[in-house]
Amino acid sequence: MNETISLTAGDLALAATLVLVAGAVSAVLRLGLERRLLVAAIRTVVQLLLVGYVLAWVFALDRGWIVGLVFLFMAVAAGRAAVQRASHSYRGATWNAVVTLALTGLLTTVAVTAVVVGVQPWWRPQYSIPLLGMIFGNGLTGISLCLDGFLGSLADGRGQIEMELALGATRWEAVRAPLADAVRKGMIPILNSMTVVGIVSLPGMMTGQILAGEDPLDAVKYQIVVMFMLAAATSMGSIGIALLAYRRVFNGRHQLVGERIYEQK
Amino acid sequence: MTHKPSRFEACSLDIAVADRKLLSGVDLALRAGDRVALVGPSGAGKTTLLRVLACLADATAGELRLDGQQPAEVGYPRWRRQVTYVTQRPMLLPGSVEDNLRRPFAYATATGPYPEALAVDWLARLGLVGVLERPARELSEGEQQRVALIRALLVKPRVLLLDEPTSALDSQATAFVEAVLVDCAESGAAILMVTHAAQQVARLCTRTIDIREYTGE
Repeated sequence: MNETISLTAGDLALAATLVLVAGAVSAVLRLGLERRLLVAAIRTVVQLLLVGYVLAWVFALDRGWIVGLVFLFMAVAAGRAAVQRASHSYRGATWNAVVTLALTGLLTTVAVTAVVVGVQPWWRPQYSIPLLGMIFGNGLTGISLCLDGFLGSLADGRGQIEMELALGATRWEAVRAPLADAVRKGMIPILNSMTVVGIVSLPGMMTGQILAGEDPLDAVKYQIVVMFMLAAATSMGSIGIALLAYRRVFNGRHQLVGERIYEQK
Repeated sequence: MTHKPSRFEACSLDIAVADRKLLSGVDLALRAGDRVALVGPSGAGKTTLLRVLACLADATAGELRLDGQQPAEVGYPRWRRQVTYVTQRPMLLPGSVEDNLRRPFAYATATGPYPEALAVDWLARLGLVGVLERPARELSEGEQQRVALIRALLVKPRVLLLDEPTSALDSQATAFVEAVLVDCAESGAAILMVTHAAQQVARLCTRTIDIREYTGE
C-alpha cells in the first residue's frame, strides 16, 4: 500500500492547465477574474514551494528552537488574520488573538503528539508543524467568527446590556448570553465539518495520506484524532478570545466601555 | 413597598463626553420621598447625568454617595440596584413580559424572590391587563415603556432615575404612571426624572433642577 508516485515539474505544469479551465469560464462569462486567477495561481505555487523548502530544512535540522520560531511565526500570522477578518475590533485584539492561538495550539499539539501519538520528543517537526497548521487554520476561523459575533452584538446591543447593568446585573450576568452566542458562532464551522466528514468531504490531510499510499484505515484513525483536536482547539480558542475581549471592553466598575470597540473596514 | 429612608448626594461632579466638557460642578441631593424634575434643552447632558449617577458612565471629577457610602464601597451592581436608571427608549429582552419582569431577580444582587402579586397589581394599575404571557417586544412602544418602568420599580430602588418615562404615553397612561410614581415616593423612594412637559413638572414634582445651572450657559 505504500507506493508513492512522485510528481515531476511536468506533472505540475499539466495540472496548471486545469486553472486554464477556470480562466476560460471567466473569459466567456466576462467575470473579469483572469488576472486575479493568474496571480492566485502564481501565489499558490510560490507560497507552497517556499513552505516546502522551509519545511524540508526545518525537518532536516530537527531542532526544538527552530520549531519554536516557526510556531511563533504561525501564531502571529494567524492571530493577525483572525482579527482582520472580524467586522469590529478593539485595541489589543491582535495580541489577544495571538496569545489565544498560541496557547490552544501548544496545548492541543502537546496533547496529540506527546499523549495520543506518543512522539519522542513531542515537538518533532514532522508531526508538530502540520498539526499546528491545521489548529491555527481552524482556530483563526473560529476566533474571527466569535470576535465578530461578540463585538458586533456589544456594539449593536449596547442599550440592552446597559439595561441589565442598570437593573443590578454584574458585567458577567449582562454579557453571558451574547458571549455564549458568539462562542457558538465560532464553533459552528468545526461542528459542521465533524458532521459531514467522510460523507460529503474527505479532509485534506486524510486525502494526502491516501494519495501518498497510506492504508485508508490508518489515515482515518489519524483524521479522527485531528477532528477531535480541532474541536478542542476551536472551542478553547473561541472561549479564550471571548473572555479576553470581555475583560477588555468591560471595566472593573462593571461598565461597558463601548468606545473601546471600533468598526473595521 | 417599603424603602429605607435615604440620602443620595452628588458632589462637585464634572462630566465630559469624548473629551468635551459637558457639565461642571454638579451638586445635588435627594432625600426619600423627593420627586425632582430635571429639565433643560436637548443635548445639554440630562441623560448623561443620569447615566453618571447610575454609575453606567464615569464623571471626570466629583463623587457620589448613598447614605454616606460611595459606589465602590457598595459595589457597582449593588449601587445600580439601589440607584436605578430607566432609559427613555424601553429596552426589553426577547421573551414574554413576565420573563422581563423576572429577569432582575435572577441576578446575584437580588435580595428576594420575584414579587409576582405586586407585578400583576402594577401592570393593572398602569392599564396593562393580560399582557404577562405576551412577547414583550410585540407590545406597542407605550406599553413597553410601562413594562420597563414596572421592571425597575419591582427592584425597589431607593433612587429612581427616569429619562422621560411618559414620552410615549397618552394622557390617561401618563396619569396612571404619575400616580404610581407618587406612591413610590411616598413609600420612601427618591425620584429624579427628565421631562420636557411643564405641566407634568407642576403636577408631579416637588422640585426642579435646570441642567443649565451646570452647563455654564
